[in-house]
Amino acid sequence: MKTDDLFRLINFCKTIQEEGTDPFDLDVKKFLETLKHYLKKWKRIDDLLLDAEAMSELAKIIELQGKWIRDRSSSFYIDPVLMELKLKMLEPVQLADAFFKSWHPIISMDRITAKRLKEGLDYWNALLPFSERKEEFPLPSTSETFTFDIADLIDLNILSRAEFEDSIKAVLNDLEERGRIEYHDFIYDDEYENSVEKAYLTSYLVSEGKAEFDIDPLEEEVFISPCNAKANTGDVRSIAISLSYEDWLRWKRKQKRNQR
Amino acid sequence: MEEETEEESTLKTERKVKKAAQLLFFRRHRIPGVKGWELKKALGDDYMEVIGVLNSALDKLGMEVKRISEEGGIGEGGEEKTERDRFMIVLKNHLVEKASGERIDEVAMLSATLAYIISKQGKAPRKAIEEFLSDKFPKHRIFFALDRYIKQGYLGEDERVLYIGWRTRAEVDRKSLLDLILAS
Repeated sequence: MKTDDLFRLINFCKTIQEEGTDPFDLDVKKFLETLKHYLKKWKRIDDLLLDAEAMSELAKIIELQGKWIRDRSSSFYIDPVLMELKLKMLEPVQLADAFFKSWHPIISMDRITAKRLKEGLDYWNALLPFSERKEEFPLPSTSETFTFDIADLIDLNILSRAEFEDSIKAVLNDLEERGRIEYHDFIYDDEYENSVEKAYLTSYLVSEGKAEFDIDPLEEEVFISPCNAKANTGDVRSIAISLSYEDWLRWKRKQKRNQR
Repeated sequence: MEEETEEESTLKTERKVKKAAQLLFFRRHRIPGVKGWELKKALGDDYMEVIGVLNSALDKLGMEVKRISEEGGIGEGGEEKTERDRFMIVLKNHLVEKASGERIDEVAMLSATLAYIISKQGKAPRKAIEEFLSDKFPKHRIFFALDRYIKQGYLGEDERVLYIGWRTRAEVDRKSLLDLILAS
């Protein structure tokens, strides 16, 4: 027996559920007529299972149709395209203002009571020393991944030391010429690959004390400037600065706008 | 059995109202507010009447007890459901003065995210929201902001799909937010 159209209908139901398309694209009446048409011909258990699966998928679509009607009749329904357009047109201040005007903050206070303090003290007294509870905090398993440092790249003949040092020098010269500058403005270049390479080389300049970061946590801006400190003096700190292709594209667009 | 005098009954109600206020104002769990069954346990079977009396007192101060169902939306329904619902105190009218340490652009991001999700019937893929917000904000800030809204309870996340969180249901008048945005 040919059951292609049943499989097609089941797949169509699944597509509607997965992609969130309009559930009314499915003609329920026609679907049921198709099932009825096949009903008399079912002989094997597999046929009945297929019939059950089709019914189950149809039931899910009918449920979606119900939800679709409820959503659209609710007071929250607004055409998503219209909303997206409106949101893109609004200034951040207008958006924030709309939020504050519809915001009814929860009033809730955190206080430690004498009873709770006593419970904390009892907990402390009952707690075994950390050395006796080590099995509760097993050490993380050793990662199988490893990193390549510059020495590995030189060993593998991917890079020569002279070449690497020349590249670092070029970046340092560039930084000295430009002086204190926003980090992304410094490392981003016309090509994304070059920007990543420059960020990598710049990290060496900072580690060696030839450049320093100045981070403004409020504005979330990072500035870099040349300096003459010794490498790794005092406390050593790692700073993660994100770099992404999308961010680089935005930077490029901004540059173009500024040039006009 | 001796019948309760009117004075005794008033005193009992006052005691219960004070207890209800303590339960609702002071935080007992990670999420503020208390469940209906906790109120029933602490105040007795007539806890909804006690909440009614507390509500009248709070009204004078511009506050109200809000009932939020776990399934979403404002709570209402049978006794069993009432016990599952969460009760919390919120400000009745919107604030005139500043009452949040959040930066204006972060509030804007939250406002846009909520409006976007509400217009998509309550949930949207995280990636789509990130793309939408990246039109105006750098991506690294969007990642942090969305994670923070999830932590604060304004949003929920399930398999990379963001939905309206318990805190938005409690604090934000969603209809008013959409109307204000469309009218701006």
